Parts: sequence; C-alpha cells; structure tokens
Amino acid sequence: MLEFFKEGLIQFFNYSGFGNCSYGHLIMIVFGLIFIALGIIKEYEPLLLVPIGFGIILGNIPFTDGLQVGIYENGAVLNYLYFGVLKGVYPPLIFLGIGAMTDFSALISNPKLILIGAAAQFGIFAAYAIALLLGFSPTEAGAIGIIGGADGPTAIFISSKLAPSLMGAIAISAYSYMALVPVIQPPIMRLLTNPKERLIRMRPPRAVSQREKILFPLLCILLTAFLVPTGLPLLGMLFFGNLLKESGVTKRLATTASGTLIDIVTILIGLTVGCSTQATNFLKLDSILIFGLGALSFVIATASGVLFVKFFNLFLKEGNKINPLIGNAGVSAVPDSARVSYVEGMKYDKTNYLLMHAMGPNVAGVIGSAVAAGILLSFLY
Amino acid sequence: MKRKFGLLLIALFCSVATFGQQTTDLRINELLIKNDSNMVDEYGRHVPWVEIFNTAYNSVNIAGCYLTDDTTGLWNGSGKTRWYRIPQTDPKTLMPQRTSLVFFLDNSPLYGTFHANFDPRNSKNHYVALINSNGRVLIDIMEYPDSLLNSTQTYGCYVDGVIEKDKDGKEISGRGFLEYFTPGSVNKVATGASKAEHLIESDPYGIGMALISISVVFVALILIYCMLKIFGAISRRAEQKAKETVAQTTQPTAATEASKPATEEAISGEVVAAIAVALNMDLDSYHDEESEIITIDMPSAHYSPWSQKHLVMKTVQRRNRR
Repeated sequence: MLEFFKEGLIQFFNYSGFGNCSYGHLIMIVFGLIFIALGIIKEYEPLLLVPIGFGIILGNIPFTDGLQVGIYENGAVLNYLYFGVLKGVYPPLIFLGIGAMTDFSALISNPKLILIGAAAQFGIFAAYAIALLLGFSPTEAGAIGIIGGADGPTAIFISSKLAPSLMGAIAISAYSYMALVPVIQPPIMRLLTNPKERLIRMRPPRAVSQREKILFPLLCILLTAFLVPTGLPLLGMLFFGNLLKESGVTKRLATTASGTLIDIVTILIGLTVGCSTQATNFLKLDSILIFGLGALSFVIATASGVLFVKFFNLFLKEGNKINPLIGNAGVSAVPDSARVSYVEGMKYDKTNYLLMHAMGPNVAGVIGSAVAAGILLSFLY
Repeated sequence: MKRKFGLLLIALFCSVATFGQQTTDLRINELLIKNDSNMVDEYGRHVPWVEIFNTAYNSVNIAGCYLTDDTTGLWNGSGKTRWYRIPQTDPKTLMPQRTSLVFFLDNSPLYGTFHANFDPRNSKNHYVALINSNGRVLIDIMEYPDSLLNSTQTYGCYVDGVIEKDKDGKEISGRGFLEYFTPGSVNKVATGASKAEHLIESDPYGIGMALISISVVFVALILIYCMLKIFGAISRRAEQKAKETVAQTTQPTAATEASKPATEEAISGEVVAAIAVALNMDLDSYHDEESEIITIDMPSAHYSPWSQKHLVMKTVQRRNRR
C-alpha cells in the first residue's frame, strides 16, 4: 500500500512542472517577469510587454509532452491561437487598426518628411548584410534585418514567411527595442547633431482638407501596391484602416478597427509570441546574435534618419530646414519615436514643439517598413 | 410567370457555374504505359497507369466520369466497351484541391475502383481521354507518341494541369516526356536552387540587394512625395479660388474691415494653438453628461442571475428543533 502511494506520488511529480523543470525554463520565466516589470513599473509599452511577458511565463511552464497543452503541440488551444502568427493573420489586422488610428495630416502637409521614413529603412538592409556575414542564410538574414524597421507586426509577418524557426527571437527582439526607443535613440541623436541644429524651428504645418485626407490612402495604396505587390497584406490593411477613419461615413468600422479589434489581436499576438519562446527553442546562440543584430539595425536606422535630415538640409533654404532631431522618427515605432523627438527638442528649446513635425516621418516609417518588407519577400520568398 | 422564369434562369446559371467548377477542371496529367519497374498496384503488378490532376482550388468528385482510349460514340453519349465508368460509391474519388489520383489501365475493373477496363498496350488509338458523366463532354484528351509504348519514361504535363491551347482548343504545348516518374505527386520536381540561394550566389555580401532595396523604398516614397506635392498644390489653388469667390460675393464693409483685428497670416500657429487649448479647457468645465445623477427616483439594479444571491448560494436546510 505504501509502495503504491509512493509510486503514485513519483508519477504525479514526473507529470508536474517541478519534475520537468530545467534551468532554461527558469531563466525564461525570469525574462517574462522582467518584461512584466518593465511594462508595469517603467510603463515601457505596457500593452505589448505585459502580454508578451505573461506569454513567456506560460510558454515556459514545463510539462510532459503529449498532453496537448504546449504551443507547438497539435490540438492545443495555444497552438490554435498561434496559427494567426504562423500564417501571418494577426499583423495585417494590427495594421488595419494602426491605419484607423493614424492621422497622416503631418505627412500630407509637409510631404518632404516622407523621405526621412525611407532613409531610416537603411537599418533593415544593413542588418541583412551583417547577418549574412555572420553566417545566417539569406532568408534568416532578411527576417532578422526587419527588426531595424522597429515594427513588431511587420517583423512577425516577415519572419513567419522567411524564417519561422527564428520568429520567437525576432518578435521578442523587435518588441523589446520598440519598448526601449526612449532609451536607445536619444544618445544617437545627441551624438549626431550639434546644438545649433537642435534649435532649428520648423514651419508650422498647413491645415489639410478632408478631401486630401480621403484621397491619400487611395492614391498611396495604388502607388505602393503596384510597385511592391508583396507588401499588399500590410499596406492594404494600413490604408484601408485609414480610409475607414477619414471617409467620415464608416465611423463604427473605424472605431472597431482602432479599438476592440486591435486590442483583441494585440492580446493574441503578444501572448502567443511570448509563449513561442520556449526555453528549448529560444535559449540558443542564434537568439543572442539576433538580439545583437536587432540592436545594431535599430541604431543604424536611427542614425540613418538623423544623418539623412542633415544631408537634406544642405539643399533646403533657410526657413525651410528640418530639425535633425526628428530624423530618428523615421523608424516606424509610432508614436514613441516621435515622442522622443519632441522630448529631446524640448530639452534644448522649451518653445520648440516638434511632435507634429516628427509624426510625419514616423508614419512615413510605417509605410517605408511595409514597403521594405514587401521587397524582402519579393527577393527571398 | 416572369418570376418562375427568373428562378429557372438562376437555377440554370447555378448549375452551369457548379458544373464549371467541377469535373471540367480535371486534367490528364501523367501516363506510363511500359511499366517495367515503376509503381505497382495493390496486387504487386507493374501495369500501365494514368494520373488525373484536379487543377481547381476546390474539391472535385471524379465519380461517374469515364476514362477511355476510344472516344467513339462521344457525342451521342453512348459509350463503347472501352469506356470505364468510375464508380460513384467510393469516397476516394473525391479529389481535394490541387491533388491527383492514379488509375491503373490494366483491363481489370473487378480489381477495384482505380482499375480501368482497358489497356493501352492493346489499343489502336494513341490517346487517353476523360469524359464527363453525361458521356457527351470531353473533359480532357491526351494524345501520346508511338514511342511511349516502348519507353520507360512517363508522358504528361510539365507543370501540373497546365496545357496551352490555341483559339480552336487545339493543344499547342504543355505536354511531353517527363524527366521523373511522379505518380500521385507534382510533376514539376524542384531540383534547382531556391530564389534565396540564387541570390546568395550572385550577391554573397548582400550589398547589391541592400542598394536595390533601399532604392525601391526611396522610389516608392518619392512617388508618394510627388503625388502629395501635386495634390497639395491643386488643393491650395482650389482653396484660394474658393476664398476669392467668397470674397467677391460678400464685399466687406468699412465697419467690418475696421473691426477685424488682424489678418489670418498675422496669427502665428502658437497663438492658434494657445486659443484652441484655452477654448478646450473652458468647454471642458461645462458638462453635458454628469458622472453622477441626482434624482428622486428609486434606484433600480438590472436583473442578472449572477448577482442573485439565492441562485448562486446553496440553501442550507435548517433542522427543526423541537
């Protein structure tokens, strides 16, 4: 009887998380807790870091295989939810919400700011070249490079197509750097600008008519999708969302897309991406390299944006010049990088409000990263 | 009467549409006659086989169709002895999208659903045909050269189900001797390097791709820039015109002109922003909808079974004490 009781307890222990636990699981659970702490205490992108952090904890609870509970096990609930990530369903839906939330007025009123959004995409391709040098395959290098776009949904979309095995590391890396925008970007901005440049005052943007706002998404989708059809899922949803917002007659749809829908998808994408970082798949040298390359591409993207503004200013007349502190906003971390431009600008001139100006390159960065993603797909997929 | 006729037309259209999505999407994809050491049937025999491919992106049931090497009697629907009608009782005849089925042409129909009642090795015609279940519509016909009878190669579509035809429906290209035997799977076997592998051969450091890509990103955004520039100019001109029209229709009087404090250009953006903030703050101090309501009505709670104590709590039976 005692023997049976002992055997039962051992069997139960072997089924429990304690019996299957490894150092890897514990390390990942600590990572998850750090993410949650950063989200709650520091308020760095809490909407992303809290679900991802909790997902990391969920994904690293050890269990015996075959119970249909793990994210990689067929038939598990988490596996069904992960389908949206694997097949690239969630990122376009998030882009729909972003489109429905974004006001492109800053860009429409000062179109030259769009070029900053293009320059900042240099980080993606520089990281691609460096990843190739480090021995990653072209498809993996492309997926890693997209971290430089500072766009979580795009990173997930591209990695699900080009390098599904690296998706967890790429997604975590992209979202981490997006959350750390206020930490990473300011030193680079200060390093590459002088005090005189930081004080440049930009002309206030002109008022944009409703007609312009409505025509903008229509014309943009025609131009960009014809040029890079592979970017259609992201660009199409982005501009469709924006049309819903600006048309003025589909308020209910725009409200849903920018509210309930994007919230649901953000929960699902954050949780499942977090879950996908199981210690056995995640704690590898490749993951560390991906984190390093992600940081590098982010730095290059920020620097390219700032340097491009300085170069662009050489051709602009006095009074039309652009403050290089908005160059960092070319990465598509909306609106965090624009907020960084604003905060940095205020440090040097309390009356120089750069937020509206920085929103131009910021939303251009969203378009630019989606176009860049389309190009990567057309070359590598 | 008109309504009935309309319904009839709709039904007819639907039936045609359904028909259009079904067996007409099937193609004879691959054929092997001299089967010396290739695929064996369920009885371990090397016999000729033909592969049918479903080109549609939906399931198609091949049951009821005819396989034959003699189309005589096609147009009047009266099949001859060498017409093999595919049984309608076998669920395996339902072909999922973009898949294929293999039929053994061994003149042994009693061996199972996938064994036809003719053998091309003793046929005078050098073709295999697939005919619709009504016996009148030729879905596909594949003619093969005489040499196939003695060749150990298969003959069929280079790319699954893809055949080019001229305007008269005569086959021009798309079929020929195939390099590999692929019964039940895709004919075009990917043996070459992938797109990414080709790219790495021609651009090992990724610099070329980086330059091309960044150029394309710039081109895309420059196009948007140009569009916005042009559009902005048009919009400003239209706005100017509208202003001029308004100004012409409402000529300002000397009094209104004098009371006007400053022109629009004289007010800076910061001033406009400050006025807007002040107005917003002022308007925020008035509430259309109050968060709390003072009323003389009795407060009423909405019914919900979740909030009903007697429904969620177990009633303990009290023992009667004497």
